[in-house]
Amino acid sequence: MDLELSEEESELRDNVRAVLAGVCPPAVVRAVYEGKGDAAPVWARMVELYWPALAIAEDHGGLGLGFVEVALVAEELGRAVVPSPFLATVTQFAPVVRELDAANGLLDRVAAGEVTGTVALAERGSWELSAVTATAEESAEGWVLQGTKSAVLDGAEADEVLVVARGAEGLGVFVVPRPALAITPRTVVDPTSPLADVVLDGVVVPPDRVLAAPGTTGVAEALERAGQEATVALAAATVGACRVIFEQTVEYAKVREQYGRPIGSFQALKHRMADMYLAVERAQSLCYFAALTIAEDDPRRAEAASMAKAAAGECQRLVVQDGLQLHGGIGMTWEHDLHFLLKRAIAGDALYGNAVHHRSRLAQMLGLVA
Amino acid sequence: MKLTFGDDVEAFRQEFLAWLADNRPTAEEMAADPAVSSAHVPEWASRWTRRLFDAGWLVPGWPPERGGRNAGPVEVLVYLEALSRAGVPRTTNPQGLGIVAPSILDYGTDAQIKDYALAVLHGEKAACLGMSEPGAGSDLASLSTRAVLDGDQFVINGQKVWTSGANYADFCFLFCRTDPDAPKHKGISVILVDMNTPGITVRPLAEIVKPEHPDLNEVFFSDVVVPRENLVGKMNDGWAMANGSLAHERGMVWLNFVMHMEQDVASLLAQAPAALARMEAPERAVVADGLVESIIDATAARCLGYRGFAKLVRGGSAPEQALMKAFCSEAQRRITLRSAEMSADHTVDIGVTPASDPTWIERYFTSYGGTISAGSSEIQRNIIAEKVLGLPR
Ligand SMILES: Cc1cc2nc3c(=O)[nH]c(=O)nc-3n(C[C@H](O)[C@H](O)[C@H](O)COP(=O)(O)OP(=O)(O)OC[C@H]3O[C@@H](n4cnc5c(N)ncnc54)[C@H](O)[C@@H]3O)c2cc1C
Repeated sequence: MDLELSEEESELRDNVRAVLAGVCPPAVVRAVYEGKGDAAPVWARMVELYWPALAIAEDHGGLGLGFVEVALVAEELGRAVVPSPFLATVTQFAPVVRELDAANGLLDRVAAGEVTGTVALAERGSWELSAVTATAEESAEGWVLQGTKSAVLDGAEADEVLVVARGAEGLGVFVVPRPALAITPRTVVDPTSPLADVVLDGVVVPPDRVLAAPGTTGVAEALERAGQEATVALAAATVGACRVIFEQTVEYAKVREQYGRPIGSFQALKHRMADMYLAVERAQSLCYFAALTIAEDDPRRAEAASMAKAAAGECQRLVVQDGLQLHGGIGMTWEHDLHFLLKRAIAGDALYGNAVHHRSRLAQMLGLVA
Repeated sequence: MKLTFGDDVEAFRQEFLAWLADNRPTAEEMAADPAVSSAHVPEWASRWTRRLFDAGWLVPGWPPERGGRNAGPVEVLVYLEALSRAGVPRTTNPQGLGIVAPSILDYGTDAQIKDYALAVLHGEKAACLGMSEPGAGSDLASLSTRAVLDGDQFVINGQKVWTSGANYADFCFLFCRTDPDAPKHKGISVILVDMNTPGITVRPLAEIVKPEHPDLNEVFFSDVVVPRENLVGKMNDGWAMANGSLAHERGMVWLNFVMHMEQDVASLLAQAPAALARMEAPERAVVADGLVESIIDATAARCLGYRGFAKLVRGGSAPEQALMKAFCSEAQRRITLRSAEMSADHTVDIGVTPASDPTWIERYFTSYGGTISAGSSEIQRNIIAEKVLGLPR
């Protein structure tokens, strides 16, 4: 098993990092935070560089690369706290389309950068399929959806929303244009990961917008597989944010002096930074492993995805706690950029199941609990 | 990145597995005469070591003139995995093979190489490592065992402690102070000392879990006379060797930990259904979560190890062994506690498992060997902070 980036992979990562440093410096993040900024140019640049097309097959106008490349981009987006539709569109929306009905033209439009999308799956804070209670009922004009979806990433911004709802014969997936939905943006800790609640109050979905009607075989499995991509991408983005928090903390500890010496020379702090480092490396290694299991469609992918997300979440807790604590008072100010990263890391843990949730999933997968 | 190794690595694995099948000691042989200390080389182990060496399989990563086959790090990894999975020890004298022999090959004279290094590699002699002293543990450079040059001889006085396998070893790779006036790192030399030289007293230290098979020892030196030609490398240059020689093989130590963790996790998972079934739901959830943590730790350790390896293969800087050592040894310790959690009412019992299977308390106490020896977890964190993260001293 080779768990380090190949030459092409590190080149991609370096390019992505350089582009993001140029197009999305902290000032852009701050503007979004303060409601003054527009991140549209960031996405425009990504589209220009074909990032949405990375992992889409060539017959749909994509570049035909794999999930490893997507995960590398996701990590960099976390590092730079980038506000963009990438995670929702490329790691949530597109995988569901690909798994269920790649032929309906949506992938081609994502690859071309013509549409952004998201997935409305979660209800009452759970991304488990078993938690879906929204209903889909067939009528003369099409399928009628009823229910409430929570925490839809980019729910108020995406062009197309994939809605997962339950019919009499099982789960179905419907493509709903955003204007047809009653959307309430939430006030979230991390405005670069905007979430919305979506109310389906008798929305009618015409037959040509049904991605998978209830009763279609393999819907649940397809959603699980796609969900693993969303999960690992979020884990990678969280690790990206955590790594920067860790790096900035180490740099700060080298220059900040108290008692006539750099605070980084105090052993109590050294050991905490060594532990932060371990947490980041542990989570990163599991993310790489999980990304590979998806890229190579290895049977361990479900377990690996949950391990990566759990580790990223645990890493987040430690790194946020010690990163903030070791910065002292300065870390608690709005002026200092650290809080963008702290909040991004916290949001990354919360979405698509936090560490606690994925540990409990693992316990179930391993047959330890019912 | 990829999940598999290349064809050449697989071919290497197959070649070794085929050889192993034809040459390995049998389980019965090993069980009939087990190694009871880290310098105890039973007769089968001596033959096995020699067979491995002659076939170029004892130290495959070394060049052929040293008995290896120039295998790359990934091949060495695959080789160690294969041995471990087959349940065959690579050596019963790990310090001799891992530290002493390579150091002598690097720094020793032709005669020392022949009489000591090759003797270890041929399974004819066992070595122990005399570094730690009562007053010099983590702060190794403060050691005070003295060797005074008197004509053609050293006269050695002092005491070592925690010397693994000294009770069975044929010779000691001894760190002594040869210049008491120099700064503490500058006055240390390494001397090869035959263990039956008059003046040496070995006192085994009965251990917390296996008092009947002591491995740790105190070693006392009273006017021990050793020929000058037993000095390894340059006089007063022993510290460089301490650093250099300890780095030998450290690169692979994590794999041992990982294999142990995986075995322990597998055995925990095997016991889990029955143990969990006896519990009420709330308790079951907590215990299950502990198991999950350990499974994630074991997987993470393997991934971290492979990642460090991949860096090495790409010609990058040496992977961060301090990180691997601290993480793996501590995770291993946590894992041993999980079996106690699973059988809370048996936690006070000793001997509820079959005799061949160490009890949780045995494994728990033994696991501290990993977090204390060869640089404690705290020392590893100092190394990470200063050498890897560049924090000031
Ligand atoms: C199973 C086993 C086998 C061993 N085999 C050998 C052998 O074959 N040959 C040999 O020479 N030695 C051997 N040792 C000795 C081993 O190297 C020492 O035990 C180890 O270096 C620690 O030294 P110490 O026991 O004196 O503890 P101390 O150094 O006294 O440490 C006590 C505590 O203080 C902490 N501490 C010490 N210094 C610092 C610091 N600067 N910062 C933070 N914390 C610190 C330690 O981490 C530890 O928790 C063995 C030890 C064990 C447990």
